[in-house]
Amino acid sequence: MDLDLPAWSEPFSGERRAQLLRPRAFPGIDREWAWGGSTGAGMTVAIIDSGVERDHPAVGGMLRRSVRVELGEDEPAVVDDPEALDVVGHGTACAGIIHGLAPDAELVSVRVLGPDNKGKGIAFAAALDWAIEQGAHVVNLSLSSKSDALFGTFHDLADQAYFANVLLVSAANNVPGPSYPSLFAAVVSVAAHDLADAWTFFYNPDPPVEFGAYGLDVDVAWRDGGRIVATGNSFAAPHIAGIAALIRAKHPEATPFEIKSILAATSNGAVRDNHRG
Amino acid sequence: MTARTPLPGRAARQLLIELGTRVEAARRLEGGAGQAVLRSIVEATVNLFQAHAASIALYDPTTDRLVYRVAAGEQGQGVIGLSIRTDQGIAGYVYTTGQALALSDVANDARFGRAVAEKTAYIPNTIVAVPLVDEERTIGVLSVLDKRDSASFSLRDMELAGVFARQAAIAITASRVERDTAALLAAVLEPLAGPNVDPDAMEDLVRTATSELGRDDQSGLWRLVDLAARLRSVQPEQVGLVADLLTVLVEHSERNSRRRHRGRSRSAD
Repeated sequence: MDLDLPAWSEPFSGERRAQLLRPRAFPGIDREWAWGGSTGAGMTVAIIDSGVERDHPAVGGMLRRSVRVELGEDEPAVVDDPEALDVVGHGTACAGIIHGLAPDAELVSVRVLGPDNKGKGIAFAAALDWAIEQGAHVVNLSLSSKSDALFGTFHDLADQAYFANVLLVSAANNVPGPSYPSLFAAVVSVAAHDLADAWTFFYNPDPPVEFGAYGLDVDVAWRDGGRIVATGNSFAAPHIAGIAALIRAKHPEATPFEIKSILAATSNGAVRDNHRG
Repeated sequence: MTARTPLPGRAARQLLIELGTRVEAARRLEGGAGQAVLRSIVEATVNLFQAHAASIALYDPTTDRLVYRVAAGEQGQGVIGLSIRTDQGIAGYVYTTGQALALSDVANDARFGRAVAEKTAYIPNTIVAVPLVDEERTIGVLSVLDKRDSASFSLRDMELAGVFARQAAIAITASRVERDTAALLAAVLEPLAGPNVDPDAMEDLVRTATSELGRDDQSGLWRLVDLAARLRSVQPEQVGLVADLLTVLVEHSERNSRRRHRGRSRSAD
């Protein structure tokens, strides 16, 4: 069957995965060097999503701040969200995955979904702008915008983040057609693979989606202190965000493109050359 | 400079009203076309995934809610006509974020957004929901519930569901103009009228043509039209039966009304 599938996860799944094997570009770099001993301490990871439940056991008390975007008559405004509620469970799922990998990283929730806010692209852009301005070390974006009208806005924001040393990790969208900012070169875009391991991730040298991480039947935190089994690129992205936080904590001098290179070099597809066995 | 086209006279207005009524009737009778495509998409989805149910909810800007329009599968029918807020539940999340999502063990989780599930008396165990996206924005959500032969949906399933959602979005975009009689008339009349017609006058024309559509004394007619439209989805032999019944009823009504008319004529003598 020849269908026009978006298939961002395809290169990371099943037999196709063998094609990702490639010689390590930087043989001196391994996972021990990249993040061995790191807990993500000193890092701030912003999660732009449906909110994060402060008291959820999976978050481990690491939620430091909770804000939301208000869309009024004028410009969208970012205001404190002291209740720290998650209207779906999705943001808490992402936070739980990141905390599981980088237990000492501080989490900030930027809620773009809620009764007073329909999660419009414009709110999403305002949230991203805020996270960049705050100097978050890593921003997890398990959502994207399909709005052509916001193409330029998101492109600028992705560049701003890149130049401001803010690493954007974005879930690829599984639906045909463009989605922003996940397909921009300045972000780390992530699709799901089907291996049940949080530390297994692949680099795909054939963009636009460059990384594949655990995203099939993931046991994740959900709203009201619960858990659920979930599938989607949404849950793959926070795995890369968590590992990126570990790398940044250990190598604070590294810039977004260097972090991306380190991720590629330490991916499961990067095989040791003959000399190193 | 050419003078602006004046509003038509009374007879022409009456014709416009008649036209509006006929267009509306035709739209309702045929209005199933877009709906029929959507229905065939959810039916194909159920078959391909071997799922218990599939449904499509579309965003309604008037109410700012997602309304379930079509469904397939034994367990799916109860959902048609239900609506949810766009910030509620899995469908709401998928709609607002445009991000596809699959969940398993949903039935075991008491916190699952059950607003819809409880109304339909069907709580799924697994669900995959993907956004319906047209050229510009997300317009709805396709949900597939409970794959028969598997405890969860695969990544491939999600991507395939995305393709079905794309087909649905294309069908919806194609029928958008036809879904609204006023929009249809405006789309036809405006280019014909050319640039010299005052937009307000054009709006007035369209309003005239559609002014009678909401009137109560025609609600019986619309009920009949809507019923006739529903006949499109029943078996041919049943259509024959309905037509026979209607013929009997119409002839009976006509006889009654002739009798009454004769009665009145006699008493007037």
